[in-house]
Amino acid sequence: MKRYELIVIGAGPAGLSAAIEAASWGMKVIVFDENALPGGQLFKQIHKFFGSKKHHAKIRGFRIGETLLKEAEESGVEVRLKATVMGIFANKEITVMNGDHIEHFKGDNIIVATGASENMITFPGWTMPGVIGAGAAQTLMNLHGIKPGNKVLMVGSGNVGLVVSFQLQQAGCKVVAIIDASPKIGGYGVHAAKVARTGIPFYLSHTIVRTAGEDCVSGAIIAEVDSHWQVIEGTQKELEVDTICLAVGLSPMSQLARLTGCDMFDAVEKGGLVPRCNEYGETSIPGLFCAGDVAGIEEASSAMIQGRISGLAVAKRSGYILANEFLMRFVSFQESLSQLRGGMFGIEKKGCVVTQTDEGLPLSRTLLQKGYIAEAEIELFSGSKKCKAKGVHPVIECTQNIPCNPCQDACRQGCIIVGDQITSLPIVTDTEKCSGCGMCIISCPGQAIFLVDDDYTEDSSAISFPYEFLPLPKAGDMGMALDRSGQEICPAEIVKVRTGKGMDETAIVTMKVPSEFANKSRFCAIYTES
Amino acid sequence: MSKVVDRSRDLGPFIPHNDDELIICRCEEITKGEIRKAVRDGMYNLTEIKRYLRTGMGLCQGQTCSRFVRSIVAKELGLSPVELDLTSARSPARPIEMQTYSNEVW
Repeated sequence: MKRYELIVIGAGPAGLSAAIEAASWGMKVIVFDENALPGGQLFKQIHKFFGSKKHHAKIRGFRIGETLLKEAEESGVEVRLKATVMGIFANKEITVMNGDHIEHFKGDNIIVATGASENMITFPGWTMPGVIGAGAAQTLMNLHGIKPGNKVLMVGSGNVGLVVSFQLQQAGCKVVAIIDASPKIGGYGVHAAKVARTGIPFYLSHTIVRTAGEDCVSGAIIAEVDSHWQVIEGTQKELEVDTICLAVGLSPMSQLARLTGCDMFDAVEKGGLVPRCNEYGETSIPGLFCAGDVAGIEEASSAMIQGRISGLAVAKRSGYILANEFLMRFVSFQESLSQLRGGMFGIEKKGCVVTQTDEGLPLSRTLLQKGYIAEAEIELFSGSKKCKAKGVHPVIECTQNIPCNPCQDACRQGCIIVGDQITSLPIVTDTEKCSGCGMCIISCPGQAIFLVDDDYTEDSSAISFPYEFLPLPKAGDMGMALDRSGQEICPAEIVKVRTGKGMDETAIVTMKVPSEFANKSRFCAIYTES
Repeated sequence: MSKVVDRSRDLGPFIPHNDDELIICRCEEITKGEIRKAVRDGMYNLTEIKRYLRTGMGLCQGQTCSRFVRSIVAKELGLSPVELDLTSARSPARPIEMQTYSNEVW
């Protein structure tokens, strides 16, 4: 039986980070994963992550995955793929299914980082072909290059539902609607706004009643629900869709942790049954740790830090690191984690009703109910204020306290300030200096920054916005400008399209619109020859 | 901890619901009505339900349906779902062929 100082189960963001950290202190580490590819969910994530520089903010998820794999290789971590851990037994012995046989391994320490699985909801027809999880849709599109369907209904308006809806549109599917039984959009306002401006409608306080179709989905019947989640008769309507995508939450995959006999508890805010862990992720069994979603649903950025902390604690437990060195590094990881957990969507705010920002500004109600911010509401926020008489200036439509600050670093002129608290709303100052470089546009993971030039010509304005669709338009193309809700409002001419290696696949498209539409135009439907 | 359920308690007769035909455990094709009837047959916890009906014993090992089964049984018994213990986790954690399982390398 092979023995390792640390066995990590799961090669996702938490598991890999834990393995890298422990190996960097000199430990002999092996990672098992049942999948054919490492990285867990990271390689499906084609959007830019939130956070600050140290949280890999504005980097696309799959690139973070590539960096982690490289680091794992460099630090000497052994990664075994298609190796399914079947059980954990006494004295940290595990069995692993590897091809046609079972292998035994023993670890001085074990870190369980098995992640989460998608929740489903039941309704007549939920087992029919065409009903899939949002994660499955991402796997099809982003790993295998297959369109999950043509017309899609997204069920769930949390960040997963919003992000995957946008990706479905990028892949060329039509998202017919996003529905949620809750009366409010669950995910970040900036994610909602970027899907709303592509024209996807939100139906809140709506649920799916049943599917239409004999052998596969040909439609979905949705209906409004009352405050007790009961369908209001007479509100049913049928949407013509061929795919129903469920983004209704995740559950920790805690079976392996459970069979060790460690203390477990049921916690709604953590997504289900999870092991009871201390601040290092150590369970009630000494040397058995849990990191990432298995210990409570969060997101990949915090999973990576939790993994680092567990890896560090394992190194200390095994005598690879001195107490003071450990403490310094632990405190810095913990600070980084608490930054990510801050803001109005943070773990401590779960279940609370937030009505205003930390700055005391009222939260946009239309943003929560329709997915976009009303023009009158946006004017309250300092990110959209114009401080100079003429010329180009940034408009930042970021109105909720979320942990994110790449815009601040992006502006070399120092026009954008977030401050030390990364959940603060960005403030635009001193726009005299704005050179219109567009670095803020491409740095914003929420695609919430625009450059507005009110004086493009005498009677027209130029709006620059982030564009992540193919084919890219070119200067001279014509289209219709869309407002924040995706409604066509006026003709627009594309005057400039900027791309570049440093822009990481986000193009900056500049369109010319009549001046009276400058504060309304936020996206463009480009006419195609066909 | 599971709440101890008084087995002498009368749950009343089985009243059919409109959605009794709804499949809950898709691996083993077990409906909501079958689960509700099983509670009336005296299966008062999730382990008993599992042994009686095979819910959660298929390919996904209850990954999808265990939440649903738990809430249906809890509702029948008038409990909150968290008051019912999940069925015990056991190795093998994933479906496996017996031939592979017997081929152990130390």
